[in-house]
Amino acid sequence: MFYVPKEAVFRRISRRKFLELGGGAASSLGVGSMTLGLGSTITRRRVQAQSSDDAKWKQYAGSKLTFLSENTPPSFAVRDNIKTFQDLTGIEVTILTDDLPVVQQKVGIDLRSGKADYLLNYVQDKPIGAPFAEFYADMTPLFGDATLPQDPDGYGDDAWFENFLSACGRFYTEGKIVALPYDCAVACTFYRQDIFEANSKDFEAEHGYRLEFTKDSTWKNVIDMAAFFKKAKEAGKDVPYGYAQHHGSFAWTTQLDIQRLLFANGRWMDWNIDDVYGSKEPGKTNWGDEQSVLIMTKFKELADVCHPDNLANGTLELNTVYQAGNIAMQTQYHEFAASIEDEKTSRAAGGKTAYAVCPKGEASWIKNGGEAVNGCNLGIGGIGINGNASDDLKRAAYTFAIWSVSRENQFNDLKGLGGTPTRKSVFAMEEVKKSMVRPTTMPNALTFDAVYNYCIKNPHIVLGPKIPQANEYHSILAAEVQKCLSNEQTPEEACKSIQTQLDELNGAG
Amino acid sequence: MNSIAADRAKPGAGLFRVRQILDNVEAKPVSTALTWPATLNPAASKRYYFWLVAPAVALLAFISIYPFFWMIYMGLHDVEIGSVVWNDFANFTRLPSDSRYVGGWLLLFQYSAMCLALQIGIGVFLAVALNGLRHEKILVTMLLMPMMIAPLVAGMVWYFLYNGTFGWYHWLLQSVGILGPKSILGSPDTAMLAIVIIDVWQWTPLITLITLAGLKRVPQDQLEANMVDGASPFVNFISVTLPNLYPVLLIAIMLRFMDNFRFIDSALVLTGGGPGNATKILPIYLFEVSFKFFKLGRGAAIALTLLVVTIILGMILAKVFDRLHPKRT
Repeated sequence: MFYVPKEAVFRRISRRKFLELGGGAASSLGVGSMTLGLGSTITRRRVQAQSSDDAKWKQYAGSKLTFLSENTPPSFAVRDNIKTFQDLTGIEVTILTDDLPVVQQKVGIDLRSGKADYLLNYVQDKPIGAPFAEFYADMTPLFGDATLPQDPDGYGDDAWFENFLSACGRFYTEGKIVALPYDCAVACTFYRQDIFEANSKDFEAEHGYRLEFTKDSTWKNVIDMAAFFKKAKEAGKDVPYGYAQHHGSFAWTTQLDIQRLLFANGRWMDWNIDDVYGSKEPGKTNWGDEQSVLIMTKFKELADVCHPDNLANGTLELNTVYQAGNIAMQTQYHEFAASIEDEKTSRAAGGKTAYAVCPKGEASWIKNGGEAVNGCNLGIGGIGINGNASDDLKRAAYTFAIWSVSRENQFNDLKGLGGTPTRKSVFAMEEVKKSMVRPTTMPNALTFDAVYNYCIKNPHIVLGPKIPQANEYHSILAAEVQKCLSNEQTPEEACKSIQTQLDELNGAG
Repeated sequence: MNSIAADRAKPGAGLFRVRQILDNVEAKPVSTALTWPATLNPAASKRYYFWLVAPAVALLAFISIYPFFWMIYMGLHDVEIGSVVWNDFANFTRLPSDSRYVGGWLLLFQYSAMCLALQIGIGVFLAVALNGLRHEKILVTMLLMPMMIAPLVAGMVWYFLYNGTFGWYHWLLQSVGILGPKSILGSPDTAMLAIVIIDVWQWTPLITLITLAGLKRVPQDQLEANMVDGASPFVNFISVTLPNLYPVLLIAIMLRFMDNFRFIDSALVLTGGGPGNATKILPIYLFEVSFKFFKLGRGAAIALTLLVVTIILGMILAKVFDRLHPKRT
């Protein structure tokens, strides 16, 4: 087949020998990759409490760790900056990223099967933390371990924004902490100032008040605004739709959307449980009561005047609708501000968008005697350590966990790829404070005043519900809400159906 | 009458005349001449063959039979890490009252029926249109391209095409007035159609390919005889071509129906079972129960019912196939 010189001297390998060698090599590679490639490996040098900080950071030099995370900016930023950690510790970290539902499945299989292929996990509070909390290592013994490096900013509740540590780290009990706040997505209102100003006169003539969004704007005002723009659009005016929501295929976003409305009006919650720690036995649900039926009716009313493609939109898709200039307002997670302010991809960039708190409840809609608040919710992504790993692996993983949530790292994330800080000390940095007004080099910081000074504070924030069946709860709720919004059932039927299914789910029927 | 003449007299034997003569002529000398030296090919015992195939059988058993029985075992228990608890068939007895399970079955039948009807109709039409064309091979190769794409990737591609903000197909359908601002995935009325279209786009070429192979063995003499009797091409197709295609079409139907019953990839990417439960066909619900809710016992019970129904329907199709295509003796 190949050209061979006449006088060539070489040993010809027989076909059998070639196949034997090839087979052997393939087997060795396969076995080798299975043993080395999938898991984490550990190398340890003993250190004492009195050892230097450098020795403590380097005690696991030569080890390999695997971190499975969501494909959000902080993880990309950490991956870009990973050499700093490797230089500091000598530990090699493989960072794998994927969509949240995929991360949830992979992590779930790994944890529940007793394995530790993914030593470090992205612990998104409700979808991952609530169902798998018991499989994560308790970090509290490591916080005070003098043979491990520690973050000077500490890990107590005061080190993080209000409730962040509890949201992603505490499940069903106060004592055990399974994750440290790694990133966050807090809901707030994005709206087009330019479009609001251009249509203010017409709106005022129709509704008797100015077209503007403040912290006192209610959900009733949002319905008015959305109806105004829809009517104008249908009349042939060159305006976008007024409002849109995410009721697409990822069930959690639908649940969060209706939760904001429910909580804003009387601080209504699905169960009478502590939403900070959650409950393994939540008991009978409040779905089906007068308040829930009324709010479901209002939610449907709002959906009817929104952008018509709500049922196909998740967070990313809704943000694209806003970027494309097809809506004037959205309730979105503050991590998306960076993409809105990107002039290459967004028609809403260049100072056109303002960021505000979530809409407030409407007093006349409250039937349960509660107060009207700016119902806000969030998702806190923690970094947790697989409880199935050996003690040394857990300790090595801990060094990465505390490094990844350190002030410097969070600041780099914010500056580089648009991270969302969880440490108060980042918020206190002068450079960050300056970036909260335009012109800014950190667009996510434009949301910080609304988010960190208002949305996440009591009484506006709702953290839960944290229940072990969180994912099935999201799925049931989303399906019934979507059926209601697409006229397959009435709001009352939807609420009763949710009630029946949730009570059956929790054995409270 | 000699034996060849007697065979020719049997009904239907004319079609296979040439082959029968060859068989008869060639069989005699070959069967008498074939004697191997005993020393080179000693008669192998059954035990010898058993040991030859045993490793492969053991491997197959390990990767298919063991999980099958394990699935049955799980279906009868509540399965948690480190604990498997017998639950008095609760995983099975709860199924009839589970609206998502029952709905999943109905949607699965609806989805499979729509896919099969469209794929068979379009596939046969394309095969007939392509059969005998000058560039048949090139066109068939081009037609097969969708089949070479991983279903998950196909789902992603169509997801972007359907997108209400930047999707090219959405824009096209909106421009011609078929769709409004609501995208095809944004309504329970059209979402199922969206995933059916993808399956039809991806797997109709398989039906075309199988049908084309069937068309090549339609007896020309029957077609010619029918035409001599004055049949139009359409009548010829209905009365001669189609009956000859039944066996291959049944194989195609069986393949596609079994494939559709385990379908999940692109639907998961496109709709995740929504809006509402409009596209939550049973395999998607099974996936959710097992790998989202992590109720492995309940998931195993659902999987088992899916397997049993698939086998029963497969057997019914095989029976139909046997009736339409009895073994010739």
